[in-house]
This record gives sequence, C-alpha cells and structure tokens, in this order.
Amino acid sequence: MTDRRKVTTGAVAALSATALILTGCSAGGGSSDDNVLRVAMGSPGEAQIRVWDDVAAQFEAANPDVTVEMNYQNDDLYQTIGLPNLLNGRNAPDIYFEWAGARLEQRAADGFAADLTEAVTTGPIAGLFDDEVFSSLTVDDAVVMVPHAADVTNVLWYNEDIFAENGLTPPTTWDELLATCDALDAEGIIPIASGNKDLWAAGNWLAHLTSRVVGEDVYSSALSGETDFDTPEWVEAFGYVKELADHNCVNESANAVDDNEGAQLFFQGKAAMHAIGSWLVSWAIDEAPGLNFDYVNLPSMPGKGNQDSVIGVVTGYVVNAKSSNQDLAAEFLALLNSDENVQAFIGAELTPMALSASDGEEVDSRSAKLLDMLETAPAIVLPPDNGYDLETANALYAALAEVLGGQSSPEDAVAGIDNKLS
Amino acid sequence: MKPNRRVTPYLFLVPAMAVFGFAVLFPVVMTFAYSFTEWNGYGTMQFVGLDNYIEAANDVLFRDSFLHVVLYIAATILLEVAVGLVLAGLVSVKRRGSLWFRVAIFTPVMLPMVVVAVLWAFVYNNDFGLLNAALVNFGLEDLQRVWLGDPATALLAVSVVSGWVYAGFYMTIFYAAFSQVPTEVIEAARLDGAGEWQLFRRIKVPMIRNAITVSLLLCITGGFQGFDLFYVMTNGGPYGATEIPTTYLVKSVFTFGNVGYGSAMAMVLTAVVVALGLVFARVNREKPEKVNA
Repeated sequence: MTDRRKVTTGAVAALSATALILTGCSAGGGSSDDNVLRVAMGSPGEAQIRVWDDVAAQFEAANPDVTVEMNYQNDDLYQTIGLPNLLNGRNAPDIYFEWAGARLEQRAADGFAADLTEAVTTGPIAGLFDDEVFSSLTVDDAVVMVPHAADVTNVLWYNEDIFAENGLTPPTTWDELLATCDALDAEGIIPIASGNKDLWAAGNWLAHLTSRVVGEDVYSSALSGETDFDTPEWVEAFGYVKELADHNCVNESANAVDDNEGAQLFFQGKAAMHAIGSWLVSWAIDEAPGLNFDYVNLPSMPGKGNQDSVIGVVTGYVVNAKSSNQDLAAEFLALLNSDENVQAFIGAELTPMALSASDGEEVDSRSAKLLDMLETAPAIVLPPDNGYDLETANALYAALAEVLGGQSSPEDAVAGIDNKLS
Repeated sequence: MKPNRRVTPYLFLVPAMAVFGFAVLFPVVMTFAYSFTEWNGYGTMQFVGLDNYIEAANDVLFRDSFLHVVLYIAATILLEVAVGLVLAGLVSVKRRGSLWFRVAIFTPVMLPMVVVAVLWAFVYNNDFGLLNAALVNFGLEDLQRVWLGDPATALLAVSVVSGWVYAGFYMTIFYAAFSQVPTEVIEAARLDGAGEWQLFRRIKVPMIRNAITVSLLLCITGGFQGFDLFYVMTNGGPYGATEIPTTYLVKSVFTFGNVGYGSAMAMVLTAVVVALGLVFARVNREKPEKVNA
C-alpha cells in the first residue's frame, strides 16, 4: 500500500469513526438508564411549582436511591419546541405533561406513551380516579395518560368592579355582548383583552364561538379535514368575529401582544373582560391579588350549535414508553394524586381530577364552578390546537386573527384556510 | 523521531476538522438527507424524493417569507451598514468624548438578542410602551401605531431594532478601517481645502471600500440567518407580515412536526445564502483589478 493510499484509507476510517460517533450522539429519544426520575411540564406557576417540588421531595424520601428532576419550561416553548426536543434528547423525561386529544394520540403513535392500563386498574393508581375519565385518555385500548386537571380553555372573565361602576351585567347573549362592548368602548375602557400574537389565545375563544354557530359536528368534521371551511355556515360564523372587530370589542394590539401582555391589561384594570381559560384563577391570584373577578361562559350565539357548550380539555401526565423507570413513574403519579397532595394542589388554586378533590381543602369558588360547568356540559368542544391536527388549527387561528384584526373579510378568510390546507 | 512531513499537517487539522464536522458538516448532511423524507421527528421516515422541494417552490408563504427577508435586508443595509458608516465617520473625527460615544454605540451588540427583543417589544407595546407614550408627550398622537400589530409597520419596527443593535458593530468595523487610511492622504486633502464632509465622502469612504463590501456581505448573509428578533417580537405575525424563511421553517419543523419539509426549506435557504456569498466573493475579487487598471 502506498503512503498516499495509507493516508486516504486512514482519513476515510477516521471520518467513518467520526460519523459513527456523531450518529451515536444524535440518536437520542431514549430515557437514560439511571436512578433519576425526570418530570417535564410547562410552568404551572409558582404556587403549583412549590407543590410539585414537595411531591418530588416526598418521593425521594420514600425512595432514597432515586433522584427526581423537575423540568418546568415556558408554556409556549414546552408546547412547541420544548417537549419534542426533550423527548428526542438523551435524558428524555420519564413523565411528561400532555393534553388529551390529537397530541396524545400522536405521542402514542410515535412510541412515547407507555401503556398504563395495569397501573390504573390494579396498580398503584387504581381507585384514585373515576373510571369514566380514562375513556378520553385511551388510545388503541390502552390507557396512556393519568389525568391531573380538566381545563376549561376559554370563558369570558370580567372585572366585577368595572362592570358595577358602569352599571353593566355580564353578557349572556350575543347582542348583550356587543352592547357591553359599545358601552365600555364609549367609556374608553378596553372591552375584552386579548394577547393573540401566538394565535391560540383569541383563536381558542373564537373557535368556540364558531362551533356555536356552525354546530359541533360541522366544527369537528372541518377540523378533522373531512369537510371544507369555505361554506356558508363558516362564513356566517366568521361574520360574528367581524362584528366583534366592528364594535371595537378587543384591544387594538390583540394580534401584536402575547397572552401574558393581554392578561396584564385585564389585571391592571385597563380591560373589563378577558377571554382565556381556567388557569387565569391562580394566575390572577398571584399577579393581581386585589382583582375582583368572575366569569361567564361564552354568550349564546344565534346558530346551530349547543349554546351551553363548553370548550375544554383534560390534561395529565404520560409515562414515556422509552423510560426504564416506568414502575417508578407510576408510583410517582400515584403519590402525586394522594389525598394529601391533591389537597395541596387545591391550596395552589388547581382542582385535580382525583376523586379525593371533593374532600377537605376548599376549592376556589370560581375553579369549582368551572369544573362543575365542564362536568355537566351538554356538549364539550375540543380546542383546535389540542383536539385536532395542529396545522389545521393554526390555519383556522390565523384566519380568525385576520378577521379580528380587520385584515380579511369572512369570505376571504375561510377560503384562505382551505387554500392553506390544500 | 523525525515527524512525517506528509501526515503531520493533517494531524494539526484534525481538531478543527472534527469541530467543523460535528457542528457544520454533519448537521448539513443530515438536513440534506431529511429533506427527501416525510418525517415528524420521531416515527417512521418515508422517502419522498423531491416532493418537499416541489412543495416549497409552490408554497406562497415560503415565497413571501423570502420577500420579507429581502425587504428586511434592504432596511438593515441602511439602518446597520449606512448608519454604522456615518457613525464611524462622526466618531473618527477627533473630538472629545469620541471613546465614550463608541462604547455607548457598541454596547447593544453585547446584549443577548432575546433580551433586546423583549425590551423593544415593551418599547413598541401599544398599551404600555415607551414609543407611543413619547409620541403623546410630544403632541404627536396621530403618529401612534400598534407598531408590531400593523402589517405596514411591523417589519420596519423589527428592522429598526436590528439597526439599533448592529449599527454599533459596523461602526466599529468602519472605525478600524478609517484608522488605516494614511494620515498623509487626509492631510493632503485638508491642504487642498477639503472639509470633513468631503474628506468623508471623497477620501475615507472610497478608501475603505473592501471593508464596506465585507460588511454588506455580513449584513446580507446575517439577514438571511435572522431569527431571534422575529421569533420573540412578532413570531412571524401580524398576519404573516414578518414571516421570514427561518421562522417559517422552524414552525414547520418544531410546531407542525414537518421535519422533511422544513429541512428542504433549510436547504433552499442555505443554497441562496451560499450563492450570494459566492457572488459577493467574485465581485470583491474583480473590483480591485478594475481600480488598479
């Protein structure tokens, strides 16, 4: 072999070895085989983080050779880039937060959701929940998520003091809502605060509104890709969104600010109403303790849908199917839902779905009403970004934002959704 | 032992090549490979040939994102390079406090872009922001805007922030280049009666043409790589008015799980940037010959 060939062969071997090493480096997606139990979620707020940290400490005390690592990410980051990165990483979480619906089904299809059927029927989690709750958490006959909370993802929160000062009552019909907007706008108060830069905040609310107009079946079939959006009923539904814009119901900056900035308008009394989900209770108590607020469900619309429908989703925790600590993870989730910890979460303004939530610590009256509203709802509408394909949800949200911002007519907006998805 | 003259040079290259291979070559090769697949990042990977490239060519939003980034680059050439050049001209004129100005103007370059983006998002905020409040204080209420929520102003608003950060960077490059201009040339021009403006326009700027060319190249390629300001300040909105290729492909990959399609867009973007770099390199190589001729 000549020197040149030796060098070439050596170089090829070195490159091949490097490639192998690099490939090895990138082949994540598995949970590491150690005594660390990794738990990942979007940040639930300081009050709940304290409870989580305490649960972790309890678990470590009961299992001295185990360390619990909590990973609280920014909510939006977690929902988009955060969780996929974690799951693909070398130290993937053993337990992670997830929303029931299309996302959960995708996790199961991708092999990241362990079968928890045994754990919830005869294992450590058995008896902690009403069996019926698992029906929406079952994929291919396997329970793949342990529920934690049921979020009503949108209601209309209102500032009771502003309403009283202006002689207003919470709107329960569409006409009342528009009249309330007009009255508040005339007083220089933002009627409804929204931080819709990331599209989901107003998107969730307005999607619920459209479901009330087109009906739950049409809503679901369009979001599932079975029917088109460019139909007269969708145009009609988008027409109501245009009415919101025409009546200056929403802050001018809605599509420029994020959900946090939108909420601040409500917390600081610059806006009289705020359309967001049940998580506002603990958030407002943390950031605006003096705020006197309550909620109404979306006012009834002139339309084909059930006018008492509630938009909501069950959230909970999934055990990574690639985790080598699946038994430990199930035990951790059982501890999480123990009577004592359930009461601690209630103290942190979260209402867990565990059966013991109805005992002991008093739940915030608004949270209790919300949970009751969800449990007794005649129809539950799934949020587009949790219950359906994300690209479809995003196309709907973008179109709703365009109409809300006065950038598109209802006709152009619905046609645009189909174009985008075609 | 006598070192082997043939092998030793390559051994010195190994650490650099390993880093290059790990940080650049491997991701590029993998992205290229992914661009021919349909894959969500976890599940089964399916080979789809050129489908992703065909989809990218027909994707109106992707095409629009290129238009937006070209407008952004045009704005940043003015707000970063041209302003940086003027600032360098000003601070290079020996006056008291020149050092203080240079440090002050350069400081934004040292701030993390995410911090800058959050800071400026507050400045632009329609309800709490400094800019609209300042306009009211100066009696300019009519100029108030939802700066990041209006498609007519959002792209410009982000470009201004980019200019605020990088004008100081280019000022530093040009300042260093100006300091290389021979003093005898400057003094000869002064003896001929040239004022500061004429010195700047007719002597200094032409003599630092290579630095300007390099700065333009940096600005253009940097513009195509822009991401953080857009992601934090507007996330591509409002109504897609600030969607640029990088934000669009990141959404495609990480939000919607279209790793294959996002990779194809990344390869198209890379090809455009490399092609522009090559064009600039060629222009840069030819110009001195013309000047010397």
